[in-house]
Amino acid sequence: MAYEEVKVRKPLGLILLPFFSVVCFFGAWELIVRTGIVPATMLAAPSDVGALFVDKLTNPNPDGATIFVHAWVSMQEAFLGYLLALGIGIPLGLFMGWFGVVRGIARPIFELIRPIPPIAWIPLTVFWFGIGLWGKVFIIWLGGVVPCVINAFVGVRMTNPTLIQMARTYGASDWQIFKTLCVPSALPMVFGALQIALASCWTNLVAAELLAADQGLGYLITMGRRLALPDMVVLGMVSVGVMGALIGLAIDEVEKRLLAGIRR
Amino acid sequence: MAEMEEGIQRLGRQDRAIANEVQKSVRERRPLTLRRVITNEYVLHVVSAAAFLTLWHEVAASGVFKGGLCTPWEVVVRFRGLLTDTLAGLTLWGHIAASAQRIAIGFVLASAVAIPLGLFMALNPYVNAVVKPVFDIFKPMPPIAWVSIAILWFGVGEESKIFIIIIGTFVPCLLNAYNGIRLIDPELYDVVKVLGGNRWNEILQVSFPASFPAIFAGLQISLSLAWTCVLAAELVASRSGLGFIIVQGMKFTDAALVIGGMVMIALVAWLSSLLIAGLEKLLCPWRRDIRDL
Repeated sequence: MAYEEVKVRKPLGLILLPFFSVVCFFGAWELIVRTGIVPATMLAAPSDVGALFVDKLTNPNPDGATIFVHAWVSMQEAFLGYLLALGIGIPLGLFMGWFGVVRGIARPIFELIRPIPPIAWIPLTVFWFGIGLWGKVFIIWLGGVVPCVINAFVGVRMTNPTLIQMARTYGASDWQIFKTLCVPSALPMVFGALQIALASCWTNLVAAELLAADQGLGYLITMGRRLALPDMVVLGMVSVGVMGALIGLAIDEVEKRLLAGIRR
Repeated sequence: MAEMEEGIQRLGRQDRAIANEVQKSVRERRPLTLRRVITNEYVLHVVSAAAFLTLWHEVAASGVFKGGLCTPWEVVVRFRGLLTDTLAGLTLWGHIAASAQRIAIGFVLASAVAIPLGLFMALNPYVNAVVKPVFDIFKPMPPIAWVSIAILWFGVGEESKIFIIIIGTFVPCLLNAYNGIRLIDPELYDVVKVLGGNRWNEILQVSFPASFPAIFAGLQISLSLAWTCVLAAELVASRSGLGFIIVQGMKFTDAALVIGGMVMIALVAWLSSLLIAGLEKLLCPWRRDIRDL
């Protein structure tokens, strides 16, 4: 930017308002349940959810596992699917971006699979893998692999053509250009994919567990509904949200470390 | 400026314009060798699609997956039948219409609230300070996690499905409208100030037009999310819709029904995203595309 940045102190109202709004939100939530505007069979007050959380730390009933076990199972599935998606999707996208032959072969199949929501694969997955770990990993993988391929592909395609032409003038081979120009210039896009793929994996994890599971946070939500226990449903939702946010933050941090010095 | 834009548009397919450099490339005439034919992208497309279908057919015919997979042709036959026959009282068109109606209602309601809210949040720091923290609490929760609570609240009728679609589409709509304005180059505002404009001019002349492409990108994202959400809702509990077709297939181990349902969803989702893309071209022609995307 052409001008110097000036630090302006935020007015006090702007600093306090966010806290005020969060407190109001939870207060209103607690109140509408306590006063019975929303019946307790439909929504649990935040304090009830907190109490259930403390209880679930040690008590495996009535859904068969403590919250740590649910979270651990979900984490395992999500990370397996996520890592597989990264490991397959990013190289595939990079190659598709630069090599015409790979693009020609992979594109029709990719375009065929891309618009199908991963959730739609659940029945076929159940037919093929049963309701074990690998079925869920497959669904999560499907959710994660698409953004990885697209972002890596676009990242390579956005390489500055002037640089490529210069490399050609100096006699670089296709592979050398790919390795030294296209891949580094695609890196910011690839890291963008890490976040998108994670969000997508996490969403699909819940979907996979909703339909076919016997453990995991998504299963906790489903059980809460079946047993008509709104506090369990909300606890499951909150745990999924909190864990998703935490993993997102962790990836953000990794991205900052690795990408330090690369132009965004 | 106008001349340059025109010039860029007149350039042929082989030319690229990046920022303000225009690069001309000349197509060279090379001899037609076998190698060139084989490595031609379009030939490869056909080869790969054919190989995919053949492989699918062979695997299905060999019966490795038993009832879990059927040949592509069986899917076509099954769905040609569904055009006239009914499944749970509705033909294929009826099921598509049921899903599309839910999407349309939820999508319109969510975007009508989320986009203005996102714009307000970006334009006014006080609105932002109030809404953002609460929004941040909801943001990381996958919309599918709401399916259970929606059923507790609204039962298994239409309302719960529309509610989930609203939840799912709300987040990307709002985020993109918000970021669309936040990421505007501040120098554009300076231009308005230098020319003597007030805050209102800034909003009308800079903020809105510059945020349009981002808003439409948000609509695209939320539309594809909406299809995911409606599917999730229909998979859990419904009596109509494309998700219902898939669930029926799952119940009766009818792979043709499942695969056909998946293909139909892909098709309808693709068509609806074309619709949004067309709308975008109509409403904001100033958007610059990244070619070959």
